[in-house]
Amino acid sequence: MIAFTDKRVLTVADALPGKKYVISHIDGGYGLRSHLSSMGLVPNENLSVLNQSGGGPVTILIKGVRIAVGRGMARKIIIRKV
Amino acid sequence: MEKEITIALAGNPNSGKTTVFNNLTGARQHVGNYPGVTVEKKTGERKYKGYKINIVDLPGTYSLTAYSLDEVIARNFIINEKPDVVVDIIDSSNLERNLYLATQLMELEVPLVFAFNMIDITKGSGKRIDINLLSELMGTPIVETIGHKGKGMNELMDAVVEVAEKKMKKKKVVVRYGEEIENEIAKIEKIISENKAIAKKFSIRWLAVKLLEQDKDVMNTVEELIDSNSKYSEIEKIVSKSIAHIKSILRDSPETVIADARYGFINGALQESYEELQAGKITVSDKIDRVMTNRILGLPIFAVLMWLMFQFVFKVGAYPMDWIDMGFGKLGDLVSNALPEGLLQSFIVDGLIGGVGGVLIFTPNIILLFICIAVLEDSGYMARAAFVMDRLMHKIGLHGKSFIPMLIGFGCTVPAYMAARTIENRRDRLVTMHVNTFMSCGARLPVYILLAAAFFPKYAGNVIFSIYVIGIIVAVLMAKLLRSTRFKGEPSPFVMELPPYRIPTFKGIVIHMWERTWLYLKKAGTIILGISILMWILFTFPMIGDNYSQDYGAEIESMQESFESSEISQEELDKNITVIEGKMAKEEIDYTVASRVGHFIEPVFKPLGFDWRMAVASISGIAAKEVVVSTMGTLYSITEADEESQSLRDTLADEYSPLVGFSFMLFVLLMLPCMAAMAIFRREAGTKEMWFQIGYTLLLAWIVSFAVYQIGRLFI
Repeated sequence: MIAFTDKRVLTVADALPGKKYVISHIDGGYGLRSHLSSMGLVPNENLSVLNQSGGGPVTILIKGVRIAVGRGMARKIIIRKV
Repeated sequence: MEKEITIALAGNPNSGKTTVFNNLTGARQHVGNYPGVTVEKKTGERKYKGYKINIVDLPGTYSLTAYSLDEVIARNFIINEKPDVVVDIIDSSNLERNLYLATQLMELEVPLVFAFNMIDITKGSGKRIDINLLSELMGTPIVETIGHKGKGMNELMDAVVEVAEKKMKKKKVVVRYGEEIENEIAKIEKIISENKAIAKKFSIRWLAVKLLEQDKDVMNTVEELIDSNSKYSEIEKIVSKSIAHIKSILRDSPETVIADARYGFINGALQESYEELQAGKITVSDKIDRVMTNRILGLPIFAVLMWLMFQFVFKVGAYPMDWIDMGFGKLGDLVSNALPEGLLQSFIVDGLIGGVGGVLIFTPNIILLFICIAVLEDSGYMARAAFVMDRLMHKIGLHGKSFIPMLIGFGCTVPAYMAARTIENRRDRLVTMHVNTFMSCGARLPVYILLAAAFFPKYAGNVIFSIYVIGIIVAVLMAKLLRSTRFKGEPSPFVMELPPYRIPTFKGIVIHMWERTWLYLKKAGTIILGISILMWILFTFPMIGDNYSQDYGAEIESMQESFESSEISQEELDKNITVIEGKMAKEEIDYTVASRVGHFIEPVFKPLGFDWRMAVASISGIAAKEVVVSTMGTLYSITEADEESQSLRDTLADEYSPLVGFSFMLFVLLMLPCMAAMAIFRREAGTKEMWFQIGYTLLLAWIVSFAVYQIGRLFI
């Protein structure tokens, strides 16, 4: 792993509305990961952000489904630009 | 004899599962609980071509892991009860995600039928879908349905019967996870298949996959079923070796790789059978959401909707309430005239009609409130409300999802406690439950309507609204307090699907409304009737007989003599007799059990401005909050000194100051909801938490009422 990526990770919390991203990985334990998987949030999946409510939850579009993700959760979804 | 088939409906939340269930069963539904837990279990039946088909509605889930209680319940029902057919209701406008659950059901190797629901939306948007091909690729019969129009139900039943009778042969399709994982699965399969008890109960492959996914619940089950400990630790060793092996080769944990492979399988199947238009198109839902979940407009819109809801519930509800009120009044008069004065008349008029009528009168409000909640749920706005509230909820230490139990709490606290189950983290759930009681439930509404109308006739609506607002404020403060004391820590993360907006169906709303209203009516017919009778007994016995402190009979006689000898006028006579009868009535009631108990506890309530009767009424509210009204009805109609039958409202307004009325409403708002709710609380959260809930709400109710009354007195 390259050291600087740890500091400059991009998460859903920082994502810009209207832009497209790809999930790198989920920073969480077994329970969280499998739950997010079942809702369609798996690594290498495309996602776009519909709404950044500023401090509140983020709405993302993934596999054609709109999902609201709380701030804390959004910071655990590591993404990269397409 | 007709044959019975049991089917279980599985499916994602928002897939239209409930609508299909309603269509299949119509009014023949039964709501119960899964054994040991308070998760609602809805069952129903349908007669179809000589079969009796029992239908079980499983909780809506995204998968069959052990992430939430709902998932465990759905999974255990399928494994343990072995329904003849599992029907997976799939939102066909969102196939990829919905089929994820389907792949897990396939893995369980249960007889399956897929219902591709809302197929009209998919086809209407111009997407082409080859159902036959997809059915082959997934090895499962697929039926097209349109839940809200009731279409495809017979076809679905045909498929169910065929699968149950094993007439429909499909080739078995297995989701493959790639060579690395398959090798490990084979190793685990080999060791667990040596154990007959396990091999008989489970699909071995499914079990192996679950063990690789480190599913805690499955691991425990395997440990229980295995006879020797050494055997289990052997399995455990092999599994952890496999996991380590996969991690080292694939550089990812098995559950991620497995999830990926499932989506891979789904994509593969869809690629050949499904043509999708450009993804990410802006839908009508998105357009509505831009307004509804807008960072500036979201909250005000939510507040306005809530305000409109309350206006609707109270303004519209007022008319049928008047009719019911009149009806019970007439009934009371009728019985009074038909029966001679005495115990039986008092029992029927004061005990039965006064008690139960006082509660039934609020049915219109309850129905309207439940209609509103059903509309909010079915339209998809409820999820948006949770979204809009998440930031706010987070600030007070709650969870966006806490909002839904809170809203349901305005209807009834019992389902509200149950709804808190969707909050996965225990601490979050407990805080939500502990403050949920301050969301004023429908049963408390009768108390406010009575008291607000009595003491604040011109501002009744506003006063009631203020009580609700105070409840919310108290909930916020208590949540903050609990978060910083007993339940320290950050709320857990929030993820929630925002389903597309839908126009709610009339049938769906009626069924939802009726389910909940029926519970209310049943309560009025059983618990409340019972308590009304009990209260009447407590307020009637022991009877005073001849034990009056003075000889009132003689007094009345001497009055009449004075009248006959023209010493006093007719008017004076009537007045004096009324006074004497008032004294008698007071002594009669003071002689009863209720009064003795009431006087005993009165000192505790005196500082809140309550007299013994209010004390008794508030305590009776522990049984059920509506009982406060029926108790007051019984209590004041018996104790009413004068013969003119004044309405309860007027009596109250005569006897107490508005400040006392307000203090009383606050007490009723804040103390624990009712016995039924506490029973549920105990099952959901444990005995200790239940006692905590009872203790702190009673204390809080006392403190707030005390403060309001004592401070209020300084100004009034």
